[in-house]
Amino acid sequence: MVQFRLPMLPAAGEVPWSAVVNDEEVSLSIESNAILLDVLRDQAGSLGTKRGCDMGTCGCCSVLIDGVPRLSCLTLAQEGSGCSITTVEGLADGHHLHPIQQTFTECGGSQCGFCTPGFLVVISALLEDNPTPDDAEIKAAIEGNLCRCTGYQQIVDSVRAASNILTSGEAIEDSTAAKSDPDPGYVAD
Amino acid sequence: MSEDKDKVEGYRQQSGKLPFPRPGSGGSRGTSDLRDEEAIAGIKGLGEHKHDDLVTGSAVGKPTALVDGRWKVTGQAQYGDDVRLPGELIGRIVRSKHHYARVLSIDVSAALELPGVVAVATGRDASGSFGVLPVTKDEHAMAQEKVRHVGDPVACVAAIDESTAREAVRLIEVEYEELEALHDMRGGLEDSDEPIHDRGQYHIGSSNVQKRVFQEFGDIKGMADNAVASHSSSWKFAGANHGFTEPHAVVANWDPSGRLTLYTPQQVPHYVHRALADVLDVPMHQINVHRTFVGGGFGGKSDPFPHEMCAAILSRKTGRPVRINFDREEVFWVNRGRHPSRIDMNLHADSEGRLCGIETDALIDGGAFASFGHVTTYYNGVLHTAPYEIGAFHYTGARVWTNKPASGAMRGHGAVNSRCAFEVGMDGIAEQLRVDPITLRLANLLPPHSATITGFRVTSIGMRECLERVREASGWDEKFRKLPYGHGIGVGCGFFISGSGLPIHWEPNKFPHATVHLKVDMDGGVTVHTGAAEIGQGSDTVVAQSVAEVLGLPLDMIRIRSRETDTAPVDLGSYSSRVTFMNANAAISAAMEIRQELLDAAAEMTEAPNDRLVIGDRRIYMRDDPKIGVSYLEALHKAQEDKGALVSSGAYRTPPMGRVHKGAGAGIAPAYSFSAYVAEVKVDVETGQTKVLKVWAAHDCGKALNPLSVKGQIIGSCHMGLGQVLSEEMKYGRNGHLINPDLLDYKIPTIHEMPEVVPIIVESNDSEGPFGAKEAGEGPLLPILPAVCNAVYDAIGIRTSELPITPDRVHRMIEDRCKKEEMDPLDLDSPVLRHSELQATLEARASEHAERDFLRASDPDLPDYNNGALFGFNPEIPADEQDERWVVSVTPDSDYMESPRLAGSAWKHAERRHGGGS
Repeated sequence: MVQFRLPMLPAAGEVPWSAVVNDEEVSLSIESNAILLDVLRDQAGSLGTKRGCDMGTCGCCSVLIDGVPRLSCLTLAQEGSGCSITTVEGLADGHHLHPIQQTFTECGGSQCGFCTPGFLVVISALLEDNPTPDDAEIKAAIEGNLCRCTGYQQIVDSVRAASNILTSGEAIEDSTAAKSDPDPGYVAD
Repeated sequence: MSEDKDKVEGYRQQSGKLPFPRPGSGGSRGTSDLRDEEAIAGIKGLGEHKHDDLVTGSAVGKPTALVDGRWKVTGQAQYGDDVRLPGELIGRIVRSKHHYARVLSIDVSAALELPGVVAVATGRDASGSFGVLPVTKDEHAMAQEKVRHVGDPVACVAAIDESTAREAVRLIEVEYEELEALHDMRGGLEDSDEPIHDRGQYHIGSSNVQKRVFQEFGDIKGMADNAVASHSSSWKFAGANHGFTEPHAVVANWDPSGRLTLYTPQQVPHYVHRALADVLDVPMHQINVHRTFVGGGFGGKSDPFPHEMCAAILSRKTGRPVRINFDREEVFWVNRGRHPSRIDMNLHADSEGRLCGIETDALIDGGAFASFGHVTTYYNGVLHTAPYEIGAFHYTGARVWTNKPASGAMRGHGAVNSRCAFEVGMDGIAEQLRVDPITLRLANLLPPHSATITGFRVTSIGMRECLERVREASGWDEKFRKLPYGHGIGVGCGFFISGSGLPIHWEPNKFPHATVHLKVDMDGGVTVHTGAAEIGQGSDTVVAQSVAEVLGLPLDMIRIRSRETDTAPVDLGSYSSRVTFMNANAAISAAMEIRQELLDAAAEMTEAPNDRLVIGDRRIYMRDDPKIGVSYLEALHKAQEDKGALVSSGAYRTPPMGRVHKGAGAGIAPAYSFSAYVAEVKVDVETGQTKVLKVWAAHDCGKALNPLSVKGQIIGSCHMGLGQVLSEEMKYGRNGHLINPDLLDYKIPTIHEMPEVVPIIVESNDSEGPFGAKEAGEGPLLPILPAVCNAVYDAIGIRTSELPITPDRVHRMIEDRCKKEEMDPLDLDSPVLRHSELQATLEARASEHAERDFLRASDPDLPDYNNGALFGFNPEIPADEQDERWVVSVTPDSDYMESPRLAGSAWKHAERRHGGGS
């Protein structure tokens, strides 16, 4: 089929693309000028990676390319070719959440949750690099991410709590473990 | 609150059989009867509450993780653009490039010839009008005759992919006849050859006035005569956008049975449901509105929107699902943000430091559509008649149409700008009277269970405690007017509705505002059906907590189904801070029915008298002999015999309230929230940069059902308010173009601009709120703006009357002050305060009132207290019934019209049905 384009964009040809997305080898055929965010969302199935502004201002689309936080809306997909890409879906270990995922829910780091994937991947890279960041380091790490709900304070709380989990080696529960028993039995004093 | 109580007890339940050392383990207390103040997590406040007997503190009052949090942190939460249906098409909207123009023709032939384009729709495909308020349905899916702002939808296309859709949009040729656009809101007050809308016989002259309000209450003539101090200000507020991170997105799908499912991130699915039925001309039961996860709303996703109609129309035409996702620029064109406003305000105080008058004139720029405008016009006035007792209130408000993206409801709807002007005025009055501004406020507060000057019924008031706690926490007495130049501290207060007493569809009916259905089947889990829109504020969580609390169950046994209008009972949605108050109340009453059935079953099984049984953690047993009892599941199965699942329905409707004058319903609420903030700032005199160092934020939410969320709301509100006061502004260029429709130039505070916020939760235990709770979502935004403005004055002696206070504006104000006072910027001084004799009088009155308030809050049988008692009137009768100088009037007389104020001049036109206009 003939490809129609906005006048300023050249017609794109298809190119092969492969990368390791969340530890899984992915091989696709993409348009040569495709943006990484589009490839991740529309072709690689990572709908957790969010589109907020398309111009690198909100940080919702952050992903890790070879462990480094990048704005996928400003990255040509081809730049990620051959790399290891981590999105929010790649942070948890099965049903065991990453500490920062766990603490985001517990400390109020997430309200509407739309900016959350971006924050989580950026913070996971920070904690990987530096498991005990101080306030200035936390602020520097997330300065490129906008959150409209939390005012950031509970996000910073979440990072501190995650840092505690990492340093204490506390186990993260399996979310599939049995929940409350409706018939718990009764033991008298 | 102790460390231990701050611990989150959300979904982290342990598995397996638990040994119970004593009956019940859900909370700090075992049983659900007899109230034990010490043991109930954080319960405070005075007086009895109708839910007191239910509270064990096992589910409410503890910091609780959001029940849908795990979907969000794993990337599994589906927002609008994440709904991908097989065979989907991509929709794009053709938008006007003119501010105001007549659409002469639309040529879609080239677009239709483009391979990959499946359908094109224009205004001809849907001529029905809609709008969130039934009295002002002035929107259409696509332009009918005219376009009214840049970005107004003209046509839409559906194509196989996004690039094809974008190309098709480019190929649609629209011929316009440009009309003279109106950008300055003041021009909207004048007659126009071509008003932006035509409201027929209700049109106000030939002007662009969409709504006007005139209100006079109290001793209007006396207010200036009695005044010894008056503060006048003339404010300009820039428009602000919600700035939610998720752009609007929608997916529409007509299924094979001919029903439409609309997947949309909506705060108010019910109004979309109604509007779709109108526009598509099908009955409501043929439509299922499926609310996806909502990536931030703040009021910006509460109107029914044209793009939602467009997706439905395209899907109907093509027989395939259609997905429309906005660019950020389109979000700004749809807008519905805070109104750009010009507010003039005069405050008067008498020799005893009483507020003897407020005169407010608010002209607000509605942009191209009415949206919530009727309400906003009232709210700009009526929401600053409390928390203080006042002698007179004179309000003129007008909302005009202009050729800008429509303004609408945004967090703190209509109250934010006028509250800012008012609280800054209070600071000015305190300065003139030479008294401390916090003392001035404390000596003028309305007591609990009172009526305001316009007749709002105020129940619980935690205002006094808010002020006292921020005063203490911030070290106010050591800092105010004592910090070095460039460094300052300021206070501001807030007052906001906790749910609107008048539903938007107010045709006389007895429909509830909120309904909750419960279903408990043999597995023991409780399914909650509610239409309350979870938009990140934690509404699912608070409803789950309420049900869990009443039934004595752990939170993980409650599952919320709040997504689809097919299964959820009608709910009026997430706006006006109504969800916790109304939905949790409905949930409690639904759960009470189930609770009764369980108690009856347990009574039958144990042969214990029904009224001696209590519910503990998953166990129902005799109060005085806990050994006698059955487990929750045993009682449930007994109750289900010959019957099946237990189901119940609970509803909430506001009690009759308020007075009867025209507009009396606006601002009426079953309860009100109160807040007081202190902000500390540093202003760089050379650059004009304002840095907020720390904020102490006290908010009276009645009872914090989920303190984690309440704190999150307080801090988040600070963030949004700080944006508006420091940097956020929708800027329009000389030709009326919006020049910053993106998140780079529309400056939302990043983490570096955010000060430390100390959230202080004040619990006044509202008599009608669920477990005593009121709202915490919007009220906390109001005080931050004036607190910062007042702190800037304390720092550099400059009173701003224009927001945001960007460095260039502050710098210009400093220059102006230097020029006026012929001083060098570095020699400027900050203001000083030497108390006058009035200070002691006010302090004495404040402590007297503190006693009065304590008694009124704890006594269930109170005589009425009406605004006016402070001025010597009998508190049990409204002052206007005691003294003819106190007036109640909602139309201007000819005296006023001789020299009306700016917005007041809207009354110079007559409505067409009364002989005005043509």
